[in-house]
Amino acid sequence: MSAIGRLFSCKKPYDTVGTKELFLAAMRENCSYHAAHCKPYREILETAGFSPDDLKTEEDLARLPVLPTRYFKRNQLFSRPEKRLPVKVTSSGTGGAKSVVGFDVKTLWHELKMAVRICKFHHLWSMKPTRYIIFGYRPRKNSLGAAKSAFAFTLLAPAVSRVYALERREDGFVPDLTLLREKLVKYAKGRLPVRTMGFPAYTYFLLKEMQAAGIRVTLPKGSMICLGGGWKQFYAERVEKEAFYKLAYEVLGVDEGHIVEFFGAVEHPILYADCSAHHFHVPAYARVLIRDVDTLAPLDMGRPGLVNLLTPAIQSMPLLSVMTDDLGILHGEGCPCGNKSPWMEILGRVGVKDVVTCAQGAEEVLKGGTP
Amino acid sequence: MILYRGKLYENGEQSRLIDELEGHIFETLSAREPLRPTEVIAACDRLARRAREGFYDDLALPLLESFGISYARYQDMVGAFSADVLKKKLEIELGADWDALPPIGKNTARRIAPLGVLFHIAAGNVDGLPAYSVAEGLLAGNVNILKLPSGDGGLSVRLLSDLIAEEPRLADYIYVFDVPATEFETLKRLARLADGVVVWGGDAAQRAARDMCGVNTKIIPWGHKLSFAYATRSASDEDLRALARHICATEQVLCSSCQGIYVDTADMGVLESLARRFFTIFKEENAAMGRTDPAMRGRNTVNLLCDELERCFPLILREEGVSAVLKEDSAPELSYLFRNVWIKRLPRAEIVSVLKGQKGYLQTCGLLCGAGERAELADLLVRAGVVRVTGGDLSRTIFGEAHDGTFPLREYTRIVEIDL
Repeated sequence: MSAIGRLFSCKKPYDTVGTKELFLAAMRENCSYHAAHCKPYREILETAGFSPDDLKTEEDLARLPVLPTRYFKRNQLFSRPEKRLPVKVTSSGTGGAKSVVGFDVKTLWHELKMAVRICKFHHLWSMKPTRYIIFGYRPRKNSLGAAKSAFAFTLLAPAVSRVYALERREDGFVPDLTLLREKLVKYAKGRLPVRTMGFPAYTYFLLKEMQAAGIRVTLPKGSMICLGGGWKQFYAERVEKEAFYKLAYEVLGVDEGHIVEFFGAVEHPILYADCSAHHFHVPAYARVLIRDVDTLAPLDMGRPGLVNLLTPAIQSMPLLSVMTDDLGILHGEGCPCGNKSPWMEILGRVGVKDVVTCAQGAEEVLKGGTP
Repeated sequence: MILYRGKLYENGEQSRLIDELEGHIFETLSAREPLRPTEVIAACDRLARRAREGFYDDLALPLLESFGISYARYQDMVGAFSADVLKKKLEIELGADWDALPPIGKNTARRIAPLGVLFHIAAGNVDGLPAYSVAEGLLAGNVNILKLPSGDGGLSVRLLSDLIAEEPRLADYIYVFDVPATEFETLKRLARLADGVVVWGGDAAQRAARDMCGVNTKIIPWGHKLSFAYATRSASDEDLRALARHICATEQVLCSSCQGIYVDTADMGVLESLARRFFTIFKEENAAMGRTDPAMRGRNTVNLLCDELERCFPLILREEGVSAVLKEDSAPELSYLFRNVWIKRLPRAEIVSVLKGQKGYLQTCGLLCGAGERAELADLLVRAGVVRVTGGDLSRTIFGEAHDGTFPLREYTRIVEIDL
């Protein structure tokens, strides 16, 4: 079995220590594969003077050329013929450009095994019939990654019903908060557990609205609030986790232990789920490097910088080391949940939203478009 | 919050008040005693004095903090409302004899009259600016309707209602509404009442204003602008240092902020040597000033990493959170902002042909050259569309200077002639 295959068969999803050698071998294997099958990637390696065999120790991972997600939005790099990729996912494209990421069958198999293990670790599987409320829209062919992962999420427990909060209208998507409010109040009277899934901002706005309307319900036992996708354009409205948990308990009667947050990216399809202390531990299938905002040099644990995500999961595209638009910190030890894997704290996106400017065209540039 | 004839109202009263607005404005315009600039100046001066004594510090200090403006600079800005400065402004913009224009021919009097009604669509990029825009309109004798920018912190309404408290006659000349930009029909109604629409903001705001105004309404566009530096081989290290300091100090977010440097050459070698010379100085000034926000540095680093991978540009200098990108084309464009500049070739013979396409967008050029060539180059730049030629500090301000190539008070007034 290939090193990648063995890594994704690893039964302990957070064993980053025990998989040290295996991860390195898998990265080497993945890097060689892309160097052989993707000409632009091979050129990037050559320009950087890097060969897959240079990946000998864990430190060498930092020397592997890192590609920004923005690069994938502007350039299409495939290591397999595009028509042989059964699943295509589009990133949400904050700021205009979108990246299309295609997955081949082998990659999808790895992904599935990983998702099953991680969800099992976090006790997300349930046999109880469940009602789902998705703060997104009904997935369609070629829809965004967020919609697909939200749908996949409804497979964790048998779905009795699925309600989608975003309505597709001519001028984009509009959240139908009234519908959600009615459904939640109705479901609270029933016995079946409810699971909500969506952006923290939408969930928060709904909770705030229900609070303002004086609505307080207790969702049936086993109900969960699941969050994913970060605060994105609502970064300014971001609230402290404690305040969020308090509000959720007050309005829906869901305690902190039943609120789980996910992290992931189209360009780094690894499932990060928060632990009981609400930290994103790094799964064995990935590594995280934090890099200096100026020099890109890897930083020690505890220091803030750019978040660089690494995984050998993908065969279809050279996504083995991607630079996100996020700023974060990697913490080494001391998580009260007992998980020994390092955990990642996301501080926010690079660039700030509320810069005021009168330079011609600056608004577009700050939003992430190309000048 | 609505300010209407000196009284504050909740936004819920908006449509009722707008229904009454036309009648009230006609009443004011029909009144026998028009507003005199001297009355406006006296009220502004009293307000400026209170501001200088710290009366508005509770509102101003947090704003200064968030915009990174020093208290001394704020005091300077307040100075723009003092009687001396406003009187000087009238004289500079409308002429020393603005109050007593000589007659034309034997029997015809000539006078400067207000446009009538101004509708100010304010932008949110500088707090206090909406109030300043109204003050300029008042100085020219106009009735002013102000649409507050979204996210206005209340400073404009407070300043304007205090101005009315200083001079109660101003109540009939100031109307402030909090109409969101999405209420197009309401904005159209307000625009229809106006003789002139003063529009602050980028292309989208300018286009929207054109759509809401009839052809018989004058539009005074204060749009977003692009500024840059032009250097010849004679540019001194001091020139380059002043430019680097300006770039670091303004973070390149102002209309007058330098986005990039044109070099008077067709040779990539010359371009590169100037780029390297500038970059060394740029790093020194950056270190002296302290690096900019890490989130912005990170954003630029990721963008530049992407550019490096794409290999579109011949040279990218990137260190310590500042960067300079050598480019082969000559198009004027925005940089990544926050201490990133482009450096391009532009031989002087091509200044007009290259820049002319950006007509209306160009503002300041920091001209870094020898004394002997300065007049010639400044002339070319002006003909290409630039309205301000400075040294390395492109954002320097001088009281009495024109605004984007024109005097606001001239835009807000008419010359009328009356046969006696």
